[in-house]
Amino acid sequence: MYPAVIHDYRRPSSVQEAVTAIADGGADTVFIAGGQSLMQALKARLVQPHALVDLQDVGELKGVTLDGGVTIGAMTRYVELVAETRLAPAYAALIDAARHVGDRQVRNRGTIGGSVCWNYIAACMPAVALTLDATMNLVSSDRGERSLPAHEFIGAPLETARKDDELLVSLQLPKPPANAGSAYGKWALVKDGLPVIGACIYVELDDGGSCSRARVGFGGLASGPKRSPAAEAKLVGCRAGDDETVSEALAAAAQELETQGDLWADAAYRSHLIRTLGTKMASVALRRASGQSVTA
Amino acid sequence: MDHPMDASTADGWFGAKFSRKEDHRLTTGRGRYIADIVVPGVLHLVFVRSQVAHARIKSIDTSQAKAMPGVVAVITGDDIKERIAPLPQPVVVPNMPAKYPTHWPLAVGKVRFHGDALAAVVARDKYVAEDAAEAIEVDYEELPYVGDPEAALQADAPIIHEGWDNNLIFEMTFTGGATPPEQTRNEAKVQEAFDSADVVVSERFRCHRCGVTPMETRGALCLWDESDGLTAYVTTQRPHIDRLALSDILNIPAEKVRVIAPRDQGGGFGVKAPFYREPIIVAYMAQQLGRPVRWIESRQEHLMAVSQERDQIHDLEVAATKDGQLLALRDRGIGDCGDGCEGVYWGFLMPFLGAVELPNAYAWPIGDVKIKVACTNKSALSPARAFGEFPTRFALERSIDMVARACNLEPAEVRRKNLVKSLPYTSITGEYFDSGDFVKVFDNLLARVDLAGFRSEQAEARRQGRYLGIGFGVGVELSGVASELLVPMENQPGYGAATVRLDPRGKVQVFEGDAPGGQGHETTVAQVVAYAFGIHPNDIVVQTGDTGTTPFGSGTIGARAGSYFVSAAYQACLELRRKIAQVMAHDLELGEVDPDDFEFKDGEIVYNRTPNARKTFREMVERIIMAPINLPPGVSGGLEQTSFFEADKPMICFNADCCKVEVDVNTGQWTILSWTTSEDVGRIINPQIVAGQMHGAIVQGISNACFEQFVYADNGQQLTADFENYKLATAADVPDIEVTHAPTPCPHTPLGTRGIGEGRPSAIPGALSNAICDALSPFGIEITELPLRPDKIWHMIQNAKTRAAAE
Amino acid sequence: MSTQTVRITINGEVFEETVPIRMLLTDFIRDRAGLTGTHVGCTYEGVCGACTVQLDGAAVKSCLMLAVQADGHTVTTVEGLAKNGELSPLQKSFNEHHALQCGYCTPGILMNMAEFIEKHPNPTDEEIRHALIGNLCRCTGYVHIVDAVRAAARQTAAS
Repeated sequence: MYPAVIHDYRRPSSVQEAVTAIADGGADTVFIAGGQSLMQALKARLVQPHALVDLQDVGELKGVTLDGGVTIGAMTRYVELVAETRLAPAYAALIDAARHVGDRQVRNRGTIGGSVCWNYIAACMPAVALTLDATMNLVSSDRGERSLPAHEFIGAPLETARKDDELLVSLQLPKPPANAGSAYGKWALVKDGLPVIGACIYVELDDGGSCSRARVGFGGLASGPKRSPAAEAKLVGCRAGDDETVSEALAAAAQELETQGDLWADAAYRSHLIRTLGTKMASVALRRASGQSVTA
Repeated sequence: MDHPMDASTADGWFGAKFSRKEDHRLTTGRGRYIADIVVPGVLHLVFVRSQVAHARIKSIDTSQAKAMPGVVAVITGDDIKERIAPLPQPVVVPNMPAKYPTHWPLAVGKVRFHGDALAAVVARDKYVAEDAAEAIEVDYEELPYVGDPEAALQADAPIIHEGWDNNLIFEMTFTGGATPPEQTRNEAKVQEAFDSADVVVSERFRCHRCGVTPMETRGALCLWDESDGLTAYVTTQRPHIDRLALSDILNIPAEKVRVIAPRDQGGGFGVKAPFYREPIIVAYMAQQLGRPVRWIESRQEHLMAVSQERDQIHDLEVAATKDGQLLALRDRGIGDCGDGCEGVYWGFLMPFLGAVELPNAYAWPIGDVKIKVACTNKSALSPARAFGEFPTRFALERSIDMVARACNLEPAEVRRKNLVKSLPYTSITGEYFDSGDFVKVFDNLLARVDLAGFRSEQAEARRQGRYLGIGFGVGVELSGVASELLVPMENQPGYGAATVRLDPRGKVQVFEGDAPGGQGHETTVAQVVAYAFGIHPNDIVVQTGDTGTTPFGSGTIGARAGSYFVSAAYQACLELRRKIAQVMAHDLELGEVDPDDFEFKDGEIVYNRTPNARKTFREMVERIIMAPINLPPGVSGGLEQTSFFEADKPMICFNADCCKVEVDVNTGQWTILSWTTSEDVGRIINPQIVAGQMHGAIVQGISNACFEQFVYADNGQQLTADFENYKLATAADVPDIEVTHAPTPCPHTPLGTRGIGEGRPSAIPGALSNAICDALSPFGIEITELPLRPDKIWHMIQNAKTRAAAE
Repeated sequence: MSTQTVRITINGEVFEETVPIRMLLTDFIRDRAGLTGTHVGCTYEGVCGACTVQLDGAAVKSCLMLAVQADGHTVTTVEGLAKNGELSPLQKSFNEHHALQCGYCTPGILMNMAEFIEKHPNPTDEEIRHALIGNLCRCTGYVHIVDAVRAAARQTAAS
């Protein structure tokens, strides 16, 4: 119910101060962002940090910048992402995911950075970051800056490539080509609950309206978020409205990806959701890429 | 009955929409729940609970905990077993043939479920108490886990309670008579009926473990004073019962024990009805330490220790004619009551009552109903709204639909045909239905849901590859619990009791011994009293749940308020009105009068036969209390009346539900398109409150049927002790609900009211699964298990498709 | 040191207290500020929403925050909804529509919905239900709550 004793709490106002604080704090010093996941762990005493470094005042971590590409500060809250309509249609999956995380109280506090760094098995943002192939920009006081593609950053559940003294500063996405679209949807036992399966699809269309490139990713898997190269290959050539071929492409994802059973669904149903939910999101992504405005 | 009434129209405050008096404080953050009560110097108590499901306790090391700064005391079962009397204690033991496991409020010698309390820490700060609890080390010698009730009843099963030969806590035959020869004859007759029936439906139905957790967990705040004795604030629906039990167990004279249910409680739904172990320890520590001690249960504790109900298996067979006329039912039920260590209910009373209520509202010529209840290594079942009958209603209502399908008839038609037509009626299990018109209620529902229209819509949708379905469920529910049932069942009286006290300013205080948790007693009772005296509900206050000031009541259980308590309050008012009328007649020299000729309205009392003979309510009341001179012979001053109401007969209410769904056969997911009800709640005191009770019950039913489930792993670890894993329905998961009425006033209550709400969720799982099966009838799917889950439905559809392809 | 001194403004009143760093914001509100209208309904999971308050005007779950995180910020609790003894339209609407029974979840719902109707003056019923996901209610079945929020939203939009 209550966290174990915490011995220190710092609130840096800059990235520099933040990485110094985490390095100084030593082992068992952790960052706290929105706290919507970390506080659960603190209160359950699964995590018992000696000290906390609170990122709420670090201005450099906030905000979405569009300057050619897209840079999303790690402390960008879900509620802010939802309002960031400029991300659509290419990166609309971010908005879809942000709109349905938890509930509106969680969305007022939770951050995209916190979500990808925690990488909970049933989180939405890691699967989206992976599928959109975001670049994760990190910094530490000892080693300076480094950047990693999402697929190197995001690992098995609760594991990422971030070192304990590293701060995730931002997620970066390239300027999307024209005719790009993405979508994210999930299924949980209760509305907007932690997903049993989350499906994210990103597509680019050629001048003729056919898919020239696709990225297909899923969250909710025991292995951590995963892409499906088989589905990605099969989506090439599909057009908005090609429901049958899209469905076959996602059947390949269901085949390719290993699923597990739990209290909410058995493995077979999870695989089935990969196909049905993936198909739905692929259709939305294709239609968005072709200029239609669609709710996921 | 003094005032025969038409059931449909409001009459002054009676039946009026009147916004609740409780709301101002509750919407401004000024409720006073147990955790809000501030007592200087209060100490915080935390329980340490077993990490394993079944084990002997080899040792408990409390040394580290005791040494922590701020920790005042740490106790274990060994510390208290010679000092606190164990249960069972007579006041919380039913008059039922069952085994009652001996147990102390902390585990002694062994633990019997994951979460069994085995130590308690008392500290000055609640965070420190948790630190100390964590520092306690328990050495267990694990024993085999018994998690399946049928396995628990096998000859070779590990025994859970020392000294028992087996894990059977209770069994009963509900039909055929009281003696074995009569029962055997009945079984044979039932077998004959099955042998000769055109249609026999026979299925095993399973209902999972779930309950109705309230939003506020349990708590106890105990103070000990040399003069006053023990004052215990407890989150309880039954303060008067708790008082007797605490007195007996802690050996404190009852007159020195005061139990107070906090003015505001965050829901009960039966979960706060048992006499639990924890308050015993809190009271004991307050007494031992001579300092106030407070325990506020965490949600995790709560979901581990209480709130688990349902969990029954029923092998149910129904025999019928090919015209859908029900001939007989036969049921063999098995209940999993967990360790059964729970005062008042012992886990098994729920399956008991569920079996009594199995026949539902249908006329059965004969039946053969037997159940066994087994102990397992789980927490004891605690009551939940639709007490014991959620599984049996599910089984029966599904069976009705299966009979209909076998006869190629509309399920609604089979229901209507077999509903009890003439009341009063006694069911094959001996349940008495006092009054009501079931067919009228059902016809009202049918009129609103346009079954024929839906069938056309459904056919058209199927042509387009969409699957719509309609499902019905009905429930005859207890309206209060008569002593006739409550004395054998719980060793407690059923009467309602109310004290009505007038004050010289013409205002009224009502004292109720039962403790509500959201049902709006302060408002409904005020409306009834206002109606009786012709004053405004704002001039009446209702105080509840304090054993020091209220008359004895068995508690807010079984829909007692609208049936028993309100009736007692009204009768008390009538007594006082008679006295006031008598004095007024005397004062105005009216001679021989009939008290019924005095009309109490708008703050005045008017004698109908002489229009100028009028007084204000206030002046009469003031005169009788403050100036009791020149009174009529035989009449004394003062205006306070305590009345006890016991209905002539046990009473019921009745409801029928209809839901429409659409199922996506591609995913097994469904959407509830609409939910319509038809209710017989008798005369309605406050229509909004009635509607709210129905909405709440229906959503609890949907949430139980679809989302909530207590799951124990194969090694007995309970996996669902937080709201992430024990999922409750949110507003986005449930539909709008239309509540309609087709009432019959109850002839056995003075106002024609019925108690409502307790059993209400029971019809929901049947109605919902019937709708889903109706939608999927082209696939021939029959649901026999709860919870309803899309993955399971999807598998059933896949299997049906595979079977169809093979043929 | 496992404590810090914080300044948190609650309903317009400044509370300066030295608190354990691990103290939950909910406990600061209930025990230090004595405002017990904010309730606790779950353990560590932060799912029930009974603890919802507004932090700088945004609905948040106070049980998922430490008091130290709220240092320098403004908190509004249910006790701060009524102005000068006058209930807000939302509070009145809850009463008119019988949108509460036991009242335990009510403060959290009011604090959430107060922000929601400000930001969404014309919500559909579906949007209202979606906005209520973070607040569990056991008693009402949500029907009257949706009615109350819809009516309050209309009234607030009109004024």
